[in-house]
Amino acid sequence: MPEYKGMVQPVRATPDEMRKIFAEPVPDEQKPEKAIEYLDEIRKKFRSFVVAMESCVKCGQCAENCHTYLGTRDPNNIPANRAELIRKIYRRYFTLEGRWFGKLVGAEDISLDVIEQWYSYFYQCSQCRRCAHVCPFGIDTCEVTFIGRQLLHWLGITPKLHAAVGGAMEKVGNHTGLPKPGIVDTLEFMSEEIMDEFGVEVEFPVDKPDSDIIYIPSSADFLLNPYTLMGAGMFFTYIGANWCIPSNVTEAGNFGLLFDQYYTQRGNVNRLLNAAHELNAKKIVWGECGHGWRAAKMYVPSLADRPVRWPLTHVHDEAAELIRRGELKLNPENNPEPVTLHDPCNYVRACGLNDNMRTIMNAVTVDFREMNPHGVDNFCCGGGSGILFDDPEMYQRRIQLSQKKADQVRATGVGKDGNGILCAPCSICKAQLYPMVEEHELGVHVHGLIDLLAKALVWK
Amino acid sequence: MAFMEFGGKQVELDEDGFIVNPEEWNDDVAIYFAESEGIKELTDDHWKVIRYLRDYYKQFQVAPMVRKMCKQTGYSLKQIYELFPSGPAKGACKLAGLPKPTGCV
Repeated sequence: MPEYKGMVQPVRATPDEMRKIFAEPVPDEQKPEKAIEYLDEIRKKFRSFVVAMESCVKCGQCAENCHTYLGTRDPNNIPANRAELIRKIYRRYFTLEGRWFGKLVGAEDISLDVIEQWYSYFYQCSQCRRCAHVCPFGIDTCEVTFIGRQLLHWLGITPKLHAAVGGAMEKVGNHTGLPKPGIVDTLEFMSEEIMDEFGVEVEFPVDKPDSDIIYIPSSADFLLNPYTLMGAGMFFTYIGANWCIPSNVTEAGNFGLLFDQYYTQRGNVNRLLNAAHELNAKKIVWGECGHGWRAAKMYVPSLADRPVRWPLTHVHDEAAELIRRGELKLNPENNPEPVTLHDPCNYVRACGLNDNMRTIMNAVTVDFREMNPHGVDNFCCGGGSGILFDDPEMYQRRIQLSQKKADQVRATGVGKDGNGILCAPCSICKAQLYPMVEEHELGVHVHGLIDLLAKALVWK
Repeated sequence: MAFMEFGGKQVELDEDGFIVNPEEWNDDVAIYFAESEGIKELTDDHWKVIRYLRDYYKQFQVAPMVRKMCKQTGYSLKQIYELFPSGPAKGACKLAGLPKPTGCV
């Protein structure tokens, strides 16, 4: 079982699995030396990282604001302490006082034990940036986790889950390994389901040249989230869009953001833009995926290796704008159940989707109850950054990491009669919350937001 | 990685106990996995789901949408969980010899 000297760890990718994503594992005896070499390279490039290394005064403000710490009470899960796992090494090798006084100033020699510590703790952080949001110095500890995971990846240490996602992306262009015939079959099934349930004819065009919109769904929608996929099809049909889904990039997620911001993230960006180019699309509209929308909205321009000539928007932005203009006829009575909204962290703290999600929610439901806190102050679902590990130890940890969210949902009272809806418009959140609402017995069903919008549409 | 012998043939399993090459699957594999999943006996209901998943995978190289599996086999999700306590992906797909699902699932 994945544990190292009392620390929980995700199952790691095998050397063969690492090679499939073009990473060559470093032999153990060389890892410490290479770690310092890579850390040196990265610190010279990223000022955000140096700020985090140099400025923290250990005020402790981040501690009670981190759901990982609240759920585990492990001191190394306090964001400032988690960053310290790299900071002690940074101090030892890259500061004068650390080189001279070593342990006296909290510096530590690099070792395999330290690297294993990184692997345990940087994969318990969900990169939700709530600590960054409250830090009086503006330190974004998420940037430290990014870099911790990057160093680990270059050393050849990446969770099996993340590496498998990278491998599937290389192979077919989505995380769940859907080849085109599987995509088409599922979409035809969705058309039948929409006809059965809503009596509306909806087609899901695939790879249609000269589409005004290419829609990038999360591939998890094809396995687990039928109403999100149906919802997108119904929305685009309702507004009369000339749209399609590209079979070459049927994936809103970009796990490169989460474990390898160099080759993997950049490769995925270029795969997307190549698809937009080949289909001669005019606009790219994103589906429900939190980290993926951050990776798209905030990173595409700098990783594109070309001028980006396609406007990039989120399907929530599109829907909210049409609601504000009064162009969607909606009946909120179609969603009579009590609903609460789990804000995907990347939507609210990285992409400004806060208001638009609420514009939709208020227009399509009758009993919407906010969690406390919510919006930019939300707490993560506990699965953020793809830490959806399912071996018994890590699964138990996921239950702990979702404790804060469970308390919040329960406090809204939406699940009191067992018919509540927990709207969580992101595939990682959904995958985390489907089992967690059962573990915590919350009395709610998990749905996306576009799911609720589609149910409220009034067809002519 | 581990190898198990089924009917005189070596079958490779990954760390999670999923089959590595779905082509190597045979009925004995399902029976072996059933034991490790705490399923006492594979009934006709189990085999119906397993055969459906095998056929779908053979045609599309991927597991079907859970909703489609329920609709086409006639079992509700609740019944699927009763048949396969680890659920559709980690229980039913595993017994049917499909590779472990990846991504946000």
